[in-house]
Amino acid sequence: MSALHPKNAAHKAALLGAEHWLCMERARYYTESHRESAGLHPSLRAARAMQRVFEKMTVRIEPDELLVGNRSSQLIAPPIAPERGDFTFIFGHLMEELKEFGYRISPSDERVLRDEIIPYWQGKTVRDAKIAAFQRHGLSSPLNVSPREIRRKLRTFGVGALVRLVVEQEDEGDHLDLVARLPRLLRAVRAGSGDNLKGRGRCTDTQAHIVLGHKNVLRLGFSGIDAAARARRKSAKTDAERAFLDSVELSCEAMRAFSERFAVAALAQVGATSDPERRAELDAIADICTRVPWLPPQTFAEALQAIWFTQNAAIISYGAGSGITPGRVDQLLFPYYQADLAGGTLTRAHALRLVEEFIIKLNNNVIIWPNIGGVRLNHLGSDVENITLGGVGADGEDATNALTMLFMEAITNTNLATTASFRVSKHSPKDFVRQVVAIHRETNSPAFLNDETAIQAMVRDGYRLEDAREYCLVGCVEPSGNGDTYGATGGSKVYFPTALDMVFNRGKTSFFGNQDGKDTGDPTRMGTFAAFLAAFYTQLESLVGWVTDATNLRDTIWAENFHNPLISSTIDGCIHHAEDMTQGGATYNFGAVGGGGLGTVVDSLAAIRTFVYEEKSVTMAELRDALASNFRGRAALRKRLLTGPRFGNDLHPVDELARELVARFCAMVSARKTACGGHFKASLISYGLNVYEGALEPATPDGRMAGEPLSNSMSPSNGAERRGPTATLNSLARIDHTHIGYGNSLNMRLPVGVLKSEKGIESVAHLVHAYFHKGGFHVQFNAVDSATLRAAQARPQDYADLIVRVSGYSAYFTRLGRRIQDDIIGRTEFETST
Amino acid sequence: MSESDAFRVFDIQRFSIYDGPGIRTTVFLAGCALRCGWCQNPEAFRGEHATVLRPDAVMAEVLKDLDYYTVSGGGLTVSGGEPLLHIAPVQALLTAAKRHGLHTCVQTSGAVSQAHLAAVLDLVDLFQFDLKHMNSARHKQLTGAGTERIHGNARFLRDQGATVQFRMPLLPGINDDAENLERTADFLLGHGAADLRLVPYHRLYVDKYAALDLTPGLPALVPPTAQDLQRATERLAARGLAVAVDG
Ligand code: SF4
Repeated sequence: MSALHPKNAAHKAALLGAEHWLCMERARYYTESHRESAGLHPSLRAARAMQRVFEKMTVRIEPDELLVGNRSSQLIAPPIAPERGDFTFIFGHLMEELKEFGYRISPSDERVLRDEIIPYWQGKTVRDAKIAAFQRHGLSSPLNVSPREIRRKLRTFGVGALVRLVVEQEDEGDHLDLVARLPRLLRAVRAGSGDNLKGRGRCTDTQAHIVLGHKNVLRLGFSGIDAAARARRKSAKTDAERAFLDSVELSCEAMRAFSERFAVAALAQVGATSDPERRAELDAIADICTRVPWLPPQTFAEALQAIWFTQNAAIISYGAGSGITPGRVDQLLFPYYQADLAGGTLTRAHALRLVEEFIIKLNNNVIIWPNIGGVRLNHLGSDVENITLGGVGADGEDATNALTMLFMEAITNTNLATTASFRVSKHSPKDFVRQVVAIHRETNSPAFLNDETAIQAMVRDGYRLEDAREYCLVGCVEPSGNGDTYGATGGSKVYFPTALDMVFNRGKTSFFGNQDGKDTGDPTRMGTFAAFLAAFYTQLESLVGWVTDATNLRDTIWAENFHNPLISSTIDGCIHHAEDMTQGGATYNFGAVGGGGLGTVVDSLAAIRTFVYEEKSVTMAELRDALASNFRGRAALRKRLLTGPRFGNDLHPVDELARELVARFCAMVSARKTACGGHFKASLISYGLNVYEGALEPATPDGRMAGEPLSNSMSPSNGAERRGPTATLNSLARIDHTHIGYGNSLNMRLPVGVLKSEKGIESVAHLVHAYFHKGGFHVQFNAVDSATLRAAQARPQDYADLIVRVSGYSAYFTRLGRRIQDDIIGRTEFETST
Repeated sequence: MSESDAFRVFDIQRFSIYDGPGIRTTVFLAGCALRCGWCQNPEAFRGEHATVLRPDAVMAEVLKDLDYYTVSGGGLTVSGGEPLLHIAPVQALLTAAKRHGLHTCVQTSGAVSQAHLAAVLDLVDLFQFDLKHMNSARHKQLTGAGTERIHGNARFLRDQGATVQFRMPLLPGINDDAENLERTADFLLGHGAADLRLVPYHRLYVDKYAALDLTPGLPALVPPTAQDLQRATERLAARGLAVAVDG
């Protein structure tokens, strides 16, 4: 492997050392335009607003950059989309905390935020409309956080959980400070959980989570997209269709004007630069920016710049934290790479430098997570812009190419938290998996995806086979169409332990306490485990119903008010249907419902079966009371429950519970229709949020205490894996992964030291091959040992670039909250024989 | 259940990657005629820590990882203790493994009757054979038995055309002196073996002794340093032996 190009080493150092800012440019100009466009069609309002943003926002060319296109006025400052409501909520309530976490904001930006942006959007955002709609439909209720209620919840959840819910703050020394802040924080809790779904799941404000149509931008340029919209306008039948097509034209024009601003900036810098090499680079930048993304690119450098411009502009338009995905970059770029190499106009070394720079830029995608319980999740670092590498092409033949390898090298050299998905098929080069495993010695990024399983799942969900083969990974590990799908692969979720809680409480959740669900009867009178399980599935079915209803209400708000013609213009189907992606314009439309806490609930069900129904050593009443009191005074019972059989150990009866649960959950989810006419798809992913997902869940029959983390994604509970990696993979593979349309993830810590020997690397590759042969969909490995992680906790400054994977995320370990750090350390390390 | 159709298993370790080719499951059987002061598996001679199991029960566990063996060319390794002490159940286990097409490996100290080796010859794809010390008196001092029978068995396996991989625990100050290394190399070359795997002594197992209320026979023994390993490797290589160090 080569070393990171010196200029890219400087870019990387700048990124890692940069201050985190809050920049109001995107928010301010969008708001300014929106104020003026009342009464217009939502597509036109959005197009005009983005046109204003691209005209007025700061354009920066960083020293020695070859790829240009900044996100905001600072090197690190996420673009803020106030119309969503998640950002305005967090700024309105938690600015103090954001500043504590190191975010800076200029006094003038803070003034604009306080005096213009927040007041204008009050009551108009997606979030505001969503909360009102949920309440109208009885889906959420105002959260009572009176002191009396707090006392009640403290009894069930313990101080830790509630404090964690408010703000991750476990240091006793800060107690006074916390008490002082408590009233404000409780107001934040109330506002932040306004969409609470009564504790029965989650439905975020955003949709997105899509693969951009970079393929169309490369093929047509925005000039070609513009022409297609004009042509389609001739046959448009309604004002709404014409308005959408006009908005596409405006968006294309805006993209052209935006890139030309970079050409102008580059030329301005030429004059101010004496270094002849840099002058030549700036000239080249100016040339490229006058051509792309307006015209179809002709060279590798132009193609990469076109992708970056489009990617960056899409993220500015949707706002940070939206899972905007570049897709199959090795496939998109390969024709240009090949032609340039053949024509002698490009060297591999130069292509590598460009790709390294591209990857560094992808990692500059900091998010401010608007999750009240997870404030510190903004320290996850980057939102995911997952790049998909390798796999088969539309014809079913292996499409792994020289650029796949070049990207692999660039990912290794940059050693950042790049989320990269390596597609593996039966036709992949023989050594491919081993090579990807070997890069774990240097960086922790890669995930493995199984083409056979993913493609089968896509076809099952209605994709044409050729389209299915082009799938890309969105967000963490969600397979979605390549620029032809409005996927919204994330954001809505139910937690399996909630259904269990509602069985024990006969339709109520412990945290909210309202009688909202069905009374499935007295659990102490359920004579058989089958009867208990039936009650559990009844509750789960209701959860899925609520969360899909909520999601459809939210999606209707987007469809009626907040369009994105820029992104839509790149997606197959939108111009043809003359409809925005939020209205169902794309060729394929789906929604998502995640399921959380599989390991926790399977272990819990197994414990109930074993102790209550088989051994009869615990009565259901004892268990119910123990859970309600968070095991207070029942340490012996808890200890016993902890000895129960666990998912992830190749135990057939336990795995069978998991298999059935996933199959039934997926069937419940796919049976529900989305607002756009497609159906929902299930996923089992935690987005690294499992620590917070447990905060509202009471104690569970697996011995987990109230408020403790749930199990992560489809992985077994922390510490449950005791029979080594093959046993865990066998357990996981008993589940039919082709039903899980939006994917599942399995995170495995590699045995410490296994990467030191060739035999070890080869054996890990064999694990992947065998797991995929058995139908597994995804696996990724963490190769950092716990001693290193503890050292990093103690001396974060020395480990600034230590990367781990949290669920499908890659993240900088030292920027994670302490609890997530501990959760990672707590993950089982398998012992191998030596 | 009689002793003849069951054996005492003190561990079944899946995803074993250093006990033969590919991914393997290693079955550890209790019982050993030797008492090496550095033994990592003291459970081997404290039979009460083992579970009495029939070969078919063990085979069921082994077959759980069949897919991994198929992909990696791995299989079953029988270890111990000395796995060939009680031959009937081992023979049954290996027969079942071959019936399922698994690669089979037996890790032996060589301190067994030749008839037992003969009984499994056709069932074993690879013998991993330990050489601890060349000097019989010293060997007896260290392990409780001389080298005669062990070396005789090594010759027997060679004569029968078995595939044998010799291994040597590298014990600083005990068997890594020039003389012993050279004699080891010469012995191997004389037996048509071209290579040797060095297994560096480590202390990861010492907690096991405390848990079993035992004391390690050589409490002062320390793991070889990188230089120790290099010196030993070079000495052996100088005689013309290919040396690999186990992970
Ligand atoms: S031969 Fe092996 S099992 Fe027996 S005592 Fe020596 S090291 Fe332990």
